[in-house]
Amino acid sequence: MAIRENIKSIKSLRFEGLTFNHEGSDPTLKNVDFEFPSEKVIWLKSAEGAGKSTVLQLLAGLLMPSSGSYLINDDKVGDMTFEEFLTYRLAIGYTFDYGGLINNRSIQDNLLLPLHYHELIPPKDAKARVDQYIKRFELEKFKHERPAHVPGRVRKLTCLLRALVIQPQMLLMDDPSVGLGAETSHLFSEVINEQQDSGTLKHILLSTYDENFMSLFNYDIIHIDGGNLYFQEEENTKKVANL
Amino acid sequence: MNYILGTIDSMGRFVTSNLEYTLRVLLMVYLSIRATINDHAQGVRQIFSVIAAQVYFTGFQALPLVSVLALCTGSVLILQGMGNLTLLGGGDMIGSFLIVVLSREAAPLLTALVVIARSGTAVASEIGNMRANREIEALESMGINPLSFIVFPRVIGGVISVLCLSFYFNVVALIGGFFVTKFLHGMPFSFYSESLLRAFSKEDVYEFFLKNSFSGMIIFVICCYQGLSVKKSPHEVPQVTTQAVVKCVIYVTVFNLTVTALFYLNQLRQLGVL
Repeated sequence: MAIRENIKSIKSLRFEGLTFNHEGSDPTLKNVDFEFPSEKVIWLKSAEGAGKSTVLQLLAGLLMPSSGSYLINDDKVGDMTFEEFLTYRLAIGYTFDYGGLINNRSIQDNLLLPLHYHELIPPKDAKARVDQYIKRFELEKFKHERPAHVPGRVRKLTCLLRALVIQPQMLLMDDPSVGLGAETSHLFSEVINEQQDSGTLKHILLSTYDENFMSLFNYDIIHIDGGNLYFQEEENTKKVANL
Repeated sequence: MNYILGTIDSMGRFVTSNLEYTLRVLLMVYLSIRATINDHAQGVRQIFSVIAAQVYFTGFQALPLVSVLALCTGSVLILQGMGNLTLLGGGDMIGSFLIVVLSREAAPLLTALVVIARSGTAVASEIGNMRANREIEALESMGINPLSFIVFPRVIGGVISVLCLSFYFNVVALIGGFFVTKFLHGMPFSFYSESLLRAFSKEDVYEFFLKNSFSGMIIFVICCYQGLSVKKSPHEVPQVTTQAVVKCVIYVTVFNLTVTALFYLNQLRQLGVL
């Protein structure tokens, strides 16, 4: 059976007693018990290096907790094999703060890769969908170039769009607006809002220091401080740098 | 006393660290085979395209270098063999000499060293850079297992390349080497070829496949492992590449020595000495 028929619906995200530390460092997250709100735009805020990217990578299943659990729909991600987690992974779009494009593939092939590899939609439809994004963001000039030969804005945009072409249920974005420019940021937010309105995109979590970009969304705030996560309304005194 | 205990400690550390490394590398081999079997999205066409690219870069592009190396090695061994064996009255042993020294020992080792120098370094630095550039993470985030997408096809492509290159090395060294040195000795080709065929046995075929296929696997598995061991920073890439070369040379030479020793012991057993 094709994997697209097995993609699961993401209903809840929860950390249970979760601790995470990078090798040789103090814990970034300490014994966190936290249920993420569903079907909302969540702005992760913290001081620099306090763990925003770590939280996003944990939610994407790219990092595993040092102890405790991360649960999607009560399924422990840490107990799943790569293949078992794939049924959730293909419902998650993840964008990197830097890097993350496959350097020996063109911009167009980078966008097509997840669609083609998992045959999420027929190849003809995949190409049509990617071409549509390429046209909308005026990337025609660069579509056959490799990432090293295009401007930084195009690289960043390609990384963002690659997460969106699979039409995910959950979008995790690490510093999405850096290097995009105001016009492209606005256009990108329009695409996100369209996917939200169409009902395919349900949960959005992002970290950024760009208040102008965030003004394009209706969001809730979660603070990360002292290795723990807090809702804005509960802990509005938590210190957050550069905001 | 303290000196003896210290020496034993350091030997113990050396052995355990190498054993741990070997087990980690073997675990990666197992996981990459498992990932390839379980990866239903990755079609044969996808795997074949990476294998074909690897064979092209590792095998085909190495042909000029291997040709020069094989011709020179074959010529040197034929000249030295002819000169010394004739002096000792064993000129008709030239075939046995070449099969033993060239086909069984020099060809697998020199081919492996060429592949380590050309392709092992390329694979380790390519994967290391992919790691530093977060391409490996990106593949994972797209649900593409790097072990089946990157490691497995490279290892298979590497094994095929080493086998083909070693066969080519043997042919060029034994046939080409003869014609290059023909003007320096008066040995007729028919005598030379008969001597080679007489010396050639089925054990040589076993040894050829065993040494070359495992050397290919050792080289590409170690290089992939070292490449994947890059944590974050591009400055680690040259370090892991150097480590990959050192480890490949050690593992390949020790493996070749072990196979040779086992075949030698088997010969002694067949002769009734053991």
